[in-house]
Amino acid sequence: MENLKAIIIDDEELARSLIRNYLKELPGIQILAECENGFEGIKAISELNPDMVLLDIQMPKLNGFEMLELLESPPEIVFITAHNEFAIRAFEMNAVDYLLKPYSRDRLVTAVQKAAERIRTGKREPEKITGLVQQPLAETLERIVVRSGSRIKVIPVDKITRFEAQDDYVMLYTDEGQHMKQGTMKYFEDHLDPAKFIRIHRSHIVRIDQVTHLEPYSKENYILKLKNGTSLKVSRSGLKSLKDKLNF
Amino acid sequence: MQNPFLSNRKSFITYSGIWVLVMGFHVFLLIISERVTIGFALADGIISNALFAAIGLGLWFPIFFSRSEKEKILSSFINHIFACVITIGIWITLSYFLLYSLFGSQTADIAFLRSSLPWRAGIGILYYGVIILVYFLMIFYRTHRENLVKESQLMTLVKESELSSLKSQINPHFLFNSLNSISSLTMIQPEKAQEMIIKLSDFLRYSLSNKDEKLTALREEINNINRYLDIEKIRFGKRLVVVMKANEACYDLKLPGLILQPLVENAIKFGVYESTEESVIEITSNCNPDALSITIRNAYDPEFPYKKGEGIGLKNIRSRLGILYNRDDLLTIRKGPDQYEVNIMFPQLK
Repeated sequence: MENLKAIIIDDEELARSLIRNYLKELPGIQILAECENGFEGIKAISELNPDMVLLDIQMPKLNGFEMLELLESPPEIVFITAHNEFAIRAFEMNAVDYLLKPYSRDRLVTAVQKAAERIRTGKREPEKITGLVQQPLAETLERIVVRSGSRIKVIPVDKITRFEAQDDYVMLYTDEGQHMKQGTMKYFEDHLDPAKFIRIHRSHIVRIDQVTHLEPYSKENYILKLKNGTSLKVSRSGLKSLKDKLNF
Repeated sequence: MQNPFLSNRKSFITYSGIWVLVMGFHVFLLIISERVTIGFALADGIISNALFAAIGLGLWFPIFFSRSEKEKILSSFINHIFACVITIGIWITLSYFLLYSLFGSQTADIAFLRSSLPWRAGIGILYYGVIILVYFLMIFYRTHRENLVKESQLMTLVKESELSSLKSQINPHFLFNSLNSISSLTMIQPEKAQEMIIKLSDFLRYSLSNKDEKLTALREEINNINRYLDIEKIRFGKRLVVVMKANEACYDLKLPGLILQPLVENAIKFGVYESTEESVIEITSNCNPDALSITIRNAYDPEFPYKKGEGIGLKNIRSRLGILYNRDDLLTIRKGPDQYEVNIMFPQLK
């Protein structure tokens, strides 16, 4: 194995020391830093530029996924967590491996070797999902983390009135303002609570309780009006889902 | 409920069939006695028995609607004597006048009719008794069957709730994270790993005992919380700070078992899980002879809303309190700008 530079991110000291001790005798791997939370993690990753990150999911302030979302080009990720319900989302994010706590030294070494292999071959296609996955698709989003300049902001999904597609980004609108977030409309459509949000157009997702009424605009074209006065175009399939959900 | 003889075709046919047999027997007896004309014998058999068959169907209602558990045997007996007298009175009067209007001119027949009235009363009592008995047996059988079904449903429910309460008691993530910490400790501090295994075992043993069915002394619940918190302290280190203000004078007061641990777990979830700094969990107990009050407080960061997982645990506790104390005002939650507080009052049952 080449010299592999790694960072450990876990909020529990004992969990970090286990990884450190497991990897101590493994040649060719160098631990650059240990971080206690997502904020430290982002800082360390952008400053030290590691090859791989051993990442916990459940962490204070910024969880593992939220931290990853904020990285422009993330390194190889091995998730290490006690939660089996995030496996699908982890592989959606192109993780190398997903370890369930507690795990053996051999299991960790296999994961590290997989990461090394990926780096060596430059292959980054998703792994086949096996074994772990019992739960249906990952849970719905509760909050969304955005970056504004050097600041990181956490926005509760309940405060977001609508999402709008803008090239490679999605604009999130709240009553206080708007935030740009890297991602696709499809991702948000899949991970938002379908009882609260509805996709009405290729470029628009709105919160259902913000809808006031639907206005005809021209033949077979409709405009959706929101509480704050915004008017949005409704596509044909959007109209259908509006009819299904709200009995228009 | 509908009369069982009318509820389906088969039982109605059986009922009618039996009356036809009785009718035939009645006619047969009259004919071989040679005291009446054949016409009278036929008419008497048909009228008397058809009338009683109809009245018999009607007897279902007083029985079914007076079937209250509270009714005393004596009063129910008296009621039946009254009902019996009235029923037979109506029956004899009606059949007498019907037969009289048909055979009034045949003196021998009418004389027989008059002389047989006491016999008719006797037979009426017999019919009444048999019909009532059959009804009671049917009701008894039906209730018995319903009870069997209900009982088996109840058993399934109890099993399910036991299972789910077991599941909700031990959070699997807590367990796996603790095991991971132990795995780590075995490499660096084996004695501490051993200590944690013992604490975890004690905690599991307490959680798996059926304590949630009965009331437990506060002392035991506090001990269990301390074990739980000790384990979490090993995991979270300096991030978890516990302030225990348990008033020892309250230690013998009673509360439902395993009710505090989920609350402390919640407090840790919303406090420590989401905090990078020290996070304080404060547990206070106060009491008077009539009630025990427990308050669990934790700080939370309002900048980082995290509401997942809230609800189910508290809902369980609320429903347990409702079942045990028959009150819904015992659990109060106060959510301040940066502090979350749960208070439970446990009335002391005498």
